[in-house]
Amino acid sequence: MSTAVKNQLRVCLLSVKYNIMKEMVNKVTFLTNILFMMLNNAAFIIQWSILFSLREDIGGYSMREVMLLWGLTASSFGLSRILFARVFTLHELIVSGKLDAYLVQPKNVLLSVMTSVTVTSAIGDFLYGIVLLCVFSFSIGRLFLFLLFTVTGALIITAFGLLVGSMSFWFVRTEMFGVHMFNCMISFATYPDGIFRGKARFLLYYIIPVGMAVYHPVHIMAAFDIGAFLWVLGYTVCIWAVAVCVFYRGLKRYSSSNLMEARI
Amino acid sequence: MRKYAVIYRSVLMENLQYAANIAMGFVSYFIINFVFVNLWEYMYGTPGELIAGYTKEQMIWYVMMTEMIWFGARSATIARQASMDIRGGNIAYMMNKPYYYPLYILAKYTGEWSVQMPMYVALALVMGMTMVGRLPHFRVITLPAIVLCTVFGVMINAIFKLCISLLAFWVEDASPFQWLYDKLILVVGTLFPVEIFPDGLQVLFKLTPIYTVCYGPAKLVVDFSTEKCVEILLAQIMYLAAGSVLMLWIYRKGVKKLYVNGG
Repeated sequence: MSTAVKNQLRVCLLSVKYNIMKEMVNKVTFLTNILFMMLNNAAFIIQWSILFSLREDIGGYSMREVMLLWGLTASSFGLSRILFARVFTLHELIVSGKLDAYLVQPKNVLLSVMTSVTVTSAIGDFLYGIVLLCVFSFSIGRLFLFLLFTVTGALIITAFGLLVGSMSFWFVRTEMFGVHMFNCMISFATYPDGIFRGKARFLLYYIIPVGMAVYHPVHIMAAFDIGAFLWVLGYTVCIWAVAVCVFYRGLKRYSSSNLMEARI
Repeated sequence: MRKYAVIYRSVLMENLQYAANIAMGFVSYFIINFVFVNLWEYMYGTPGELIAGYTKEQMIWYVMMTEMIWFGARSATIARQASMDIRGGNIAYMMNKPYYYPLYILAKYTGEWSVQMPMYVALALVMGMTMVGRLPHFRVITLPAIVLCTVFGVMINAIFKLCISLLAFWVEDASPFQWLYDKLILVVGTLFPVEIFPDGLQVLFKLTPIYTVCYGPAKLVVDFSTEKCVEILLAQIMYLAAGSVLMLWIYRKGVKKLYVNGG
């Protein structure tokens, strides 16, 4: 059992490694993508500097906390799209019948699909988050928590992407829905939760999992709370269990398009 | 010019067929505006407070207008297609067609936003009236000037984005430059009015396309004055002229660099 898991993990890591090597064929483009994504994210520091010149706290957050929020969001989304970028275009594979190439492989279908693509610019997102943490609120303990929550955040975002993508097993035109859900998560995750009230807060914590992926972890990093910490870990496990079940249930409905395709 | 009018008309007709698909983008527009309404509701602590000379209603309407231009004018044609045509070699076929490639792209793009923009205008009006209420001091008589200013703003943005896409003649992937340009327009011209920045930066921003693309039209909607309108229109005409010359110059330089591998 443990050998099988080890082998599977090795295959996943090799898949990501080869994805990155493929992107590195043109080194200038590879580095430009990473660097410009970091600059692209940094443009929002202007926005927050302006807002904090108007008020000292926004939604209960100081500039330092907003930068932590931004850093965690960037790193989590970045890690998710470095390791599991295919999840966000899963509908395309399902609708056009391109899953066949993965079904015939001797390894786990879901992991093979998820790790088959890496987005280069996501490396810039991931690094930007770490740079923000180092510049605005570095401590060894916080770095450890930040990296841990980057992993849980990436897993929650990926699981949510998998749930939305798996809808394509039942409904044909879900790609726009997926794009909007993704945009929706990014839009909410980069603003303090304190500015939202009532139903919007309920939506952010229980329907779109931004609360669990980003808001709760930022609160925990500001003031550690073991209950909230376990709650985030538990939620990560639960959303993954649901997402995997939905994917495999949907996979039973999948029908091939007889498309000839080779994965090299 | 007739051939470009034909391209425009055919793209317009094609896009009218897919109006429902365009309407799917309303979700993202709604979410962004929902976030900003919440943000500015929070930032304006007391009723009647002014920030950079704007009331809360004016500020929210300003963001709704700039986001409307942003969403209504976005298109993959100028940002991605031109770049991909060059990168993939398709340009070798297109430059032999009886049209000038940059003008072909602009005609196609105009056909796209002519359908998108009115739909977003309608949505912005419904959202604005529902979430904020009527805009104080707005006069219908100013509409022709606002429409002209918006059209110029969209064209300036298209020309500069096309200039960036044409950089694909030299760099393999021009999209990182597009991200940076988009973010500057978004952060400096879309999320806030220019007046919110320190005086020194305001002077600098007024010299950039940011002033003419989003700020100009939105400013005229929330706080119209004839002097401001003339100032913005003059700046737009200058940017349109300078941007067009730059675009043609980059294209001419670029095609000289082009070599075809066959296939």
